[in-house]
Amino acid sequence: MILEILRMALDSLTTSKMRSFLSMLGIIIGVAAVIAIVSVGSGAQSQVTSQISALGSNIINIGPGITRGRSGRLSFTATDVFTMELAEQILRNCPSLARITPNVQTSGILIAGDINYQTTTVGVTPAYQEIVEYYPVRGQFINAEHEANATNVMVLGAKLAEELFPGQDPLGQRVKLFARNRKLLFVVIGVMEEKGTGAIGNLDNQAFIPASVLLKKINNRKYVSGYTAQARSSETAKTAVAEVEYFLTRYLLDTDKFNISSQEQILATISEVTATLSLMLGGIAGISLLVGGIGIMNIMLVSVTERTREIGIRKALGAKRKHIMAQFMIESLAMSGFGGLIGIIFGWLGALAVAKVGGWPLVVTHTSVLVAFSFSLLVGLFFGLYPAQKAAKLDPVIALSYE
Amino acid sequence: MLIQAEHLQKTYHMGAVKVEALKDASFQIAAGEFVAIIGPSGSGKSTLMHILGCLDRPTAGRYLLDGHDMSRASDNQLAEIRNKKIGFVFQQFNLLPKATILQNVCLPLIYAGLRGRRKQQQLARQALEMVGLGERLHHRPNEISGGQKQRVAIARALINNPALLLADEPTGNLDTKTGQEIMKTFHRLNQEGHTIILVTHDPEIAAQARRIIQIRDGLIQRDEVIA
Ligand SMILES: Nc1ncnc2c1ncn2[C@@H]1O[C@H](COP(=O)(O)OP(=O)(O)O)[C@@H](O)[C@H]1O
Ligand SMILES: [Mg+2]
Repeated sequence: MILEILRMALDSLTTSKMRSFLSMLGIIIGVAAVIAIVSVGSGAQSQVTSQISALGSNIINIGPGITRGRSGRLSFTATDVFTMELAEQILRNCPSLARITPNVQTSGILIAGDINYQTTTVGVTPAYQEIVEYYPVRGQFINAEHEANATNVMVLGAKLAEELFPGQDPLGQRVKLFARNRKLLFVVIGVMEEKGTGAIGNLDNQAFIPASVLLKKINNRKYVSGYTAQARSSETAKTAVAEVEYFLTRYLLDTDKFNISSQEQILATISEVTATLSLMLGGIAGISLLVGGIGIMNIMLVSVTERTREIGIRKALGAKRKHIMAQFMIESLAMSGFGGLIGIIFGWLGALAVAKVGGWPLVVTHTSVLVAFSFSLLVGLFFGLYPAQKAAKLDPVIALSYE
Repeated sequence: MLIQAEHLQKTYHMGAVKVEALKDASFQIAAGEFVAIIGPSGSGKSTLMHILGCLDRPTAGRYLLDGHDMSRASDNQLAEIRNKKIGFVFQQFNLLPKATILQNVCLPLIYAGLRGRRKQQQLARQALEMVGLGERLHHRPNEISGGQKQRVAIARALINNPALLLADEPTGNLDTKTGQEIMKTFHRLNQEGHTIILVTHDPEIAAQARRIIQIRDGLIQRDEVIA
């Protein structure tokens, strides 16, 4: 019986294909929008997340506090707070921290032979490699001895090495650094692996020298802009933040002088923001689904009126309310369901196109497909109910005499 | 008694106006009879037929079909009775235009809950052969003649082996010759044991039945058995 009614319903849909398609359009657009928006949202999120994760894991950033400036403007203060000694003290006093490295860098010009290259030079300690998860492929990284003795050694990013020494072996070569009106000669001791562009810019064309060299011989001051620390594990990351906060509050006696942010917090914030955004856009797409439902209801009402006589005939032959009801419900469900399927295909194609342009992986989750499809069925169910009920309630005598 | 009509009354309300389509109709019809209900246009024939066919309920009075009171039955009960016990033949044929002949004849089987397309179609073919239609079964109604359409309608009416065949002006849309052929079919069906009630305004058609109930202004004027 159900099969028969299903066949009858589908027959009636296929006899007016154009009309059925136009009625499904709202659902198609709605579902496609939901799929595409959710996919683009999670694709963008996964890209940002992976960029941030690429910085290392369980990272905690310690920087200057952000306070209100004199005339009400935001200003960064307390730049004269963070020293190399303080970094060691933080590490000693916060048992949940595994390592810490200062944030200090300068922009300058590197010269090798007759090649000049304007880039950022980063002052690092040995811990930098583990924290950023970034290692040399050739030679070695800055070690503790270089740092302690402020030796003029330099490690080159992968691309920078190619730029400065095309077709040559950079190891052991000499590089001059011009920065802040100073000129310093370095020996290249290592070349880093390729890391690509990430959330903190392209590491591949940067140069790395001991932090002590940068501070003493170039900046000529003992302060760095902040620290990047790493917790022992993701479980202790929260504790580590609390420990650093506690220590710095006691040490500096001013919570406005510093600001701590963990990678975990940043990731949480980002996923929160993108989730809200996706939800909002998804909601807008949901509204178009609703509009699609009204379209279906409209066409179903037209169909019921057009087929009043048919309904009368069916009733005369013994169709009960439930049979007529089922027939029209199946029609509207078939319309919304089929519209949903077409919408999924279009949404997927849209998401694919945006992912190609945005350069992130295509993420079409089962959940979004399932939710969008069930929602379209639900819309068909809800908006089909009234027309179907109207059909089922028709008086057989009146329906039979309908012209 | 197959049919017992006791003081049937049907009143339509059209705004403030009351139309008494049926004022007081009482009669009995036994199984196997061939009855013509005759009367001028607007006399209440169709109204009576709708009640006898369980498409409608009387405003007052009692209608018993096979001893069961139909005047107080629910919509679902009436639908089931229509499906199992009543076969309709209409003046306008009332076939579904988009369905094939075979599908049209199968419809009452579907609503009876009979499973299996093959079995349905086999029964439909048998019914169609009974009314002299053996071909064009996969054509649509607009591809066959009026007489053939009415035969399809009769086959459809017969398929569930109803106790009662109700025909409202079945020859009204047919030429005289075709109409006569349809009447022959009714005769044969009656001889085979089917109870037939035929509604008509045409005395010549009515004269072919074995009993005539004449109705006028919602009242029964004459009820007599002819030869
Ligand atoms: N649904 C209805 N509403 C109002 N009046 C109706 C309705 N159906 C029939 N009538 C009226 O009832 C009377 C009998 O109609 P009907 O039974 O169709 O007569 P017949 O079939 O003999 O021509 C007519 O006056 C008709 O106008
Ligand atoms: Mg009539």
